Amino acid sequence: MSRFALSVAAAAMLAGAFPAVAQDGTTTKDSYRFVVIPKVVHPWFDKVNDGAQMAAAAIEAQTGATVEINYSAPQSADVVQQNQILESSIATRPDGIAIDLLDPAGNRASLEDAQYQEIPLVLFDSVPPEGMMIPYIGSDFCEQAKIASRRLVEILNEEGKVAIMMGVPSAPNHSIRAECHREVFAEYPNIEVVAEGIDNDDIQIAQQQAAAIMQAHPELDGWVASDAAGPVGIGQAIVEAGKQGEVQLVGLDNLDEMLDLIRDGVADSSSASQPELQGYWSVMLLWQQATGAPVPNFIDTGNAFITQDNVDG
Amino acid sequence: MQTTYKTKRAERDGPLAAFVRTPVLGVLAVLIVIFVASALLSPYFLTGYNMSVVARGLAFVALVTIGQASLMLLGELDLSLGTIGGLAGIVTGMLMVNGGIDPWISILLALCLGAALGFINGFLTAALRLHSLVLTIGTAGIYGGAILVLTRGVAITGIPPEIQFLGRGTIWGVPMPFVIMLVVLALAVFLTLKTPFGRYMYAIGSNRDAARMLGIKVDRIRVLVFVMAGALSALAGVLLVARLGTAQPSIGNAWVLGPIAAAVIGGVATTGGVGTIIGAIFGAAIIAIIENIIVLFGVSPYWQGIVSGAIVVIAISFDAISRRWLRKEN
Repeated sequence: MSRFALSVAAAAMLAGAFPAVAQDGTTTKDSYRFVVIPKVVHPWFDKVNDGAQMAAAAIEAQTGATVEINYSAPQSADVVQQNQILESSIATRPDGIAIDLLDPAGNRASLEDAQYQEIPLVLFDSVPPEGMMIPYIGSDFCEQAKIASRRLVEILNEEGKVAIMMGVPSAPNHSIRAECHREVFAEYPNIEVVAEGIDNDDIQIAQQQAAAIMQAHPELDGWVASDAAGPVGIGQAIVEAGKQGEVQLVGLDNLDEMLDLIRDGVADSSSASQPELQGYWSVMLLWQQATGAPVPNFIDTGNAFITQDNVDG
Repeated sequence: MQTTYKTKRAERDGPLAAFVRTPVLGVLAVLIVIFVASALLSPYFLTGYNMSVVARGLAFVALVTIGQASLMLLGELDLSLGTIGGLAGIVTGMLMVNGGIDPWISILLALCLGAALGFINGFLTAALRLHSLVLTIGTAGIYGGAILVLTRGVAITGIPPEIQFLGRGTIWGVPMPFVIMLVVLALAVFLTLKTPFGRYMYAIGSNRDAARMLGIKVDRIRVLVFVMAGALSALAGVLLVARLGTAQPSIGNAWVLGPIAAAVIGGVATTGGVGTIIGAIFGAAIIAIIENIIVLFGVSPYWQGIVSGAIVVIAISFDAISRRWLRKEN
C-alpha cells in the first residue's frame, strides 16, 4: 500500500475513533449508545421506550450516526435494584443515561457517581434530588392530578365520599399527585376523602386494595389514582363488585387497559401524561448533551384529557 | 466426623475427584468460570468501578446469606430475615432523624432490635416445636406490617452524613460494606469450622435427636443462631440505609429468596448438616455477577428472569452432573 493510501486509511480511522468538532463548537460521533432506566417493568414505560426508539430513529435519519438504546428495568419498584442497574450501566460508559427516579434521596449517590464520571444524565417523569442540576422532562404532575380530581368533583356534583390510590408513596411524581388530589378535594366541603390505598404501581395490588376499600366503605362514590397501574386495578375492582356506574372513576395515564375502561364506560375519563414524548425528548436531550450543546433544565410534555369522545381519536 | 470421612475418601480418590466432590471447590470453579467468561465477553466487567459495583451489591445480600446459611446448617429457614433487615433500617432512620438520637447509638439499637426479632423467631420455634419455615412466614408478615405502620410507605430522609461513609465510603478503593462483610464472613467461617459451637451446629443439622442425646443443648444453639441471623440482617439493613442516605420501606424485599438460593447454589442443604458459609457466599457472588452482566450485556428486562434463571440452572447442573459422573467413575 502506498504511503498516501496509508495516510488516508489512518485519517479515516482517526475520524471514526474521535469525535469531530462542528463549526458551532458541538462535536459529532458516528455512533451513540444511550441507556433508559424506568422505575420498574411496566407497560407505561414500554411507551417511554417506544418514544426513545423514535428519537433514535430520528437522529439516525437526520445525522447518519447510529443510535443504540439500551432499555434496562428493575423487576420490582425497588430503589436498591434500580441503583444496581444504574451503577452497572455507568460501568459501560454510555453516551448518556435517562432515568425515572424511584426515590431522589435514595438514588442520589448513584447519580453523583454518573456525574463524577461525566456521563450525561436526564430524568424523566421525576424531579432531581435537592441541589442536583440534572435536566428533567415530564408533565406537571400536580396539574395532571388536579385535572383528574377536579373532573371527579364535577361528575359527583361537588358532593360525596372519595378515595385516592397513592401508587408508590416514596416516588416523587406519585406523592406529588396524591398531595394535589388532596388539595383539590379539600377545596370542597361536601367532598370527603374516606380512604387512601397504596398499590406500589401494581395492577393486582391496586385491584386488591380497591376491592378492600370498597368493602370497608360501601358508600364510596368515586376514585382517583396517582399512578398508571392504579386506575386499571380500581376499574377491575369496580366491575367485580358490580358497582359500574355507581362508583365513579377518573383515571390517570393512557395504558391500553385504561383506554378500554373508558370505552366500556367503567371509567369516566383519564388525565394522561404522554410517555412517548417523555422517552423521545429524553433521548434528544441526552444526544444534545453528548454533542456539547446547551440543554434546558426542564421540558414540559403536557397532559392530555381522554374521554369517550376522543379515546379513539 | 464427616470431615474425617471426606478427607480419607479424598486421599483414596485423588486430587481431581476430591476437588469436584468438595462442595466449596465445585461452586468456586463455577464462580471462576462465570467470572472469566464475563471478563472475556464484556470490556467493562473488570473495570475498577464495575468491580466496586459488584462488590457493594454483593455485600448487603451476603450478610443476610451468612445468617440464612447458618440456619440452614441447623436444618432451619428464616423467611423473615428480609423484613428484619428492613425494619431495622427503618428504626435506625426514625431514631436518628425523628428521635434525634446519636446515630451510632441508633445503629446499636437497631442491631439489638434485629437480634431481638431473631430471638423471637428462635424462641417460638423451640418453644412451639414448629419448623421455622412455617413460623417465620407469620413473623415476616408481622415485621413487614410494622414497617408499613411506622412509615405509611414513605421513606425517611435526612440520614446524618457522618454515618453515610458506612455505605458509601471505601478503604483503599474497596467499598466499606464489602470490607465489613469480609470481616463478618471471616468470623462466621471461624465460628462454624473451628469452634465447638460450629461442630454442634453441624451435628444438630445432621441429626437433631442424636445431638440431643450427646448432650448438646440443641434449643440454646438454635436460638443463638437465630439471634445471629437477625443481627446480621439488621446490619445489612443499617448499611443499606447508610448507602442510600434514606431509610426505604422496600429495604429487605430482595432478601427473602435470594440468600436461600445463594446458599443452595453454594452447596448448603436445606435439610441441614451439609455445606459451608464460604460456599454460600460463593453462591451469592455468582448471583451478583449474573445480575451485573445482564445489565452490561444489555439484556432486555423481559428476558432477564429467564437468562439469570437459566445461568443458575446451568451452573448447579454442571456441579451436580460432574459429582455424579465422578461417583460413577470411582
